[in-house]
Amino acid sequence: MSSATDSRAGTRRAVVGAIAAAGLASAALLSAQGQLALPGLDSLELLARFFSHALRPALDYGSPFVPVGAPPLLLQVATATWRTVQLAVAAMSLAVPVALLLGFAGASAWWRLPGPGGRAVLRRLGPLVYAPARVVMTLARSVHELLWALLFLAAVGLSDTAAVLAIAIPYAGTLGKVFSEMIDEAPRDAAVQLTGSGATAAQAFSVALLPRALPDMAAYSFYRFECALRSAAVLGFFGPETLGKFIRLAWNESLYAELWTYLYALFALIAVSDMASRALRQRFLGETPAR
Amino acid sequence: MKMSAEELRRTRPRSRLLRTAAWATAALVVFSWMGGDFGLEQLSGERRLANLERFTGELRPWPVQQQGGFDAGSTADWQTVYDWAAALMADGGSTALASTAAIAVLASVLAALVGYLACWPAARNVARPAPFFGGPGVADRRPGLRWARWAWSVLNHSVRALLLFARAVPEYLWAFLLVESLGYTALPAVLALALHNAGILGRLGAETVENMPPAPARALAAAGASRSQTAAAVFPGLLPRLLLYFFYRWETCVREATVLGMLGVLSLGSLIRDARAGNLYDELFFYVLLGALLVLAGDLLSALARGLVRRA
Repeated sequence: MSSATDSRAGTRRAVVGAIAAAGLASAALLSAQGQLALPGLDSLELLARFFSHALRPALDYGSPFVPVGAPPLLLQVATATWRTVQLAVAAMSLAVPVALLLGFAGASAWWRLPGPGGRAVLRRLGPLVYAPARVVMTLARSVHELLWALLFLAAVGLSDTAAVLAIAIPYAGTLGKVFSEMIDEAPRDAAVQLTGSGATAAQAFSVALLPRALPDMAAYSFYRFECALRSAAVLGFFGPETLGKFIRLAWNESLYAELWTYLYALFALIAVSDMASRALRQRFLGETPAR
Repeated sequence: MKMSAEELRRTRPRSRLLRTAAWATAALVVFSWMGGDFGLEQLSGERRLANLERFTGELRPWPVQQQGGFDAGSTADWQTVYDWAAALMADGGSTALASTAAIAVLASVLAALVGYLACWPAARNVARPAPFFGGPGVADRRPGLRWARWAWSVLNHSVRALLLFARAVPEYLWAFLLVESLGYTALPAVLALALHNAGILGRLGAETVENMPPAPARALAAAGASRSQTAAAVFPGLLPRLLLYFFYRWETCVREATVLGMLGVLSLGSLIRDARAGNLYDELFFYVLLGALLVLAGDLLSALARGLVRRA
């Protein structure tokens, strides 16, 4: 065994050790604050009552107090599910184009392609474009979508349009950041060859660099759509009539059977989008994005 | 053989799946925008704009507002802002910051422990009578192994289904259900975050195990190593990948830990919620910025650690 292998294993061991130490320190801090106290028996009973309804979700209203003119439960569930999809799709349809623009601007591969004449100017100007783009993306994604929703709620009220924006802003930041990383990480050999034989930077970029990053970018967008579905569902807690709203209402009224119906609807939604996006991803690359 | 560009274009490989998907996506986007109650007037309108103006005005620190903003002739200076911020930090801000970070760290460590244990039975090349043979292994086909095959398949599918359910439910929703039933402490928040992320790490871990080069594991299994011995032996080779996944999930844990506080658990989110309830928009904005800083610090740490792991 060479010493290089030893030091590699040493680094890994150090990283794992640091993670374990951080985990222990966090547990110590939280328990010093009295935050890790074990729950009492009665709260476990509540949880047990909730989980005991898992196998018998409601197909119709269980409570005698159903508002007059309320649609059948299953129709209500279907409407909430469609609302969730609608919000997620609308948000993604805004986030992806913006993220493409930001991602291209934020990538540095574009500015660093070698080539004849004039390129020195580009190289000097590059940071003036990609630095601001990266700052915008960082600001957008470091505030969680629920906090964006809260800010909108306080500023102009959380209408459907504001809810779409609350998801679209941080998602554009995240997508843009990952897009720019993918463009920068795409293999550059073909682009270098092309510029070497006289292609302009724009030609080399669009023919030899971008096509190699596109499958990854598409796969990642599908994955983020799945995340957007979850975000849209949760945003229901703040007003929009998505699955989250009805889950909270059902919990507050202790209607556990109905709650499970909504939970299963969310589960089915995620499972379907997961399967569809996996089929498409395998077409492109056969791997799951981790980010 | 020579082909014109036109011929090349006509004979290019096409995928029906991709075309259908493209059309379906376009249709879904159109339906979503048309079917919804969306409109820019929901963001404008006289009352809303007045509200927005009041809101942006109240984002400035309260003492600054009292002293007439930052305009000429005002007595407010950066010292005022600093004192205000320091007071907020002393008054619960730093405690909440620390507990937010602790929730995120503890949750991601627990998620990794559970997820990276569950990934073994969830991997198709491990959960079978003759593990690590890759594909339909020869040894699996013996008739005496029918029951064993069935039992492994049941185990494999139930672990996969559990992981799928754990990650399909958003962490905020898990936290809502657990916090409401177990009480307003960090424990349910940590469990909720860990549950969702264990689902994700378990799935990613299973894929890593399934995609590893099969030769070393096969050699070990053929030499008589047990399933767990083989797993332990190949684990260090998978570690860099698993660590990368861990750090990506840790980034999202930091983001989520802030927000989970809005359910009443002590973290930055609870301060944000309280500030919102009291219409203290300057404090709300301060805590949102503090959360963003924490996210930035988390991302930075993760990027450094990932660089270390990649180079190692």
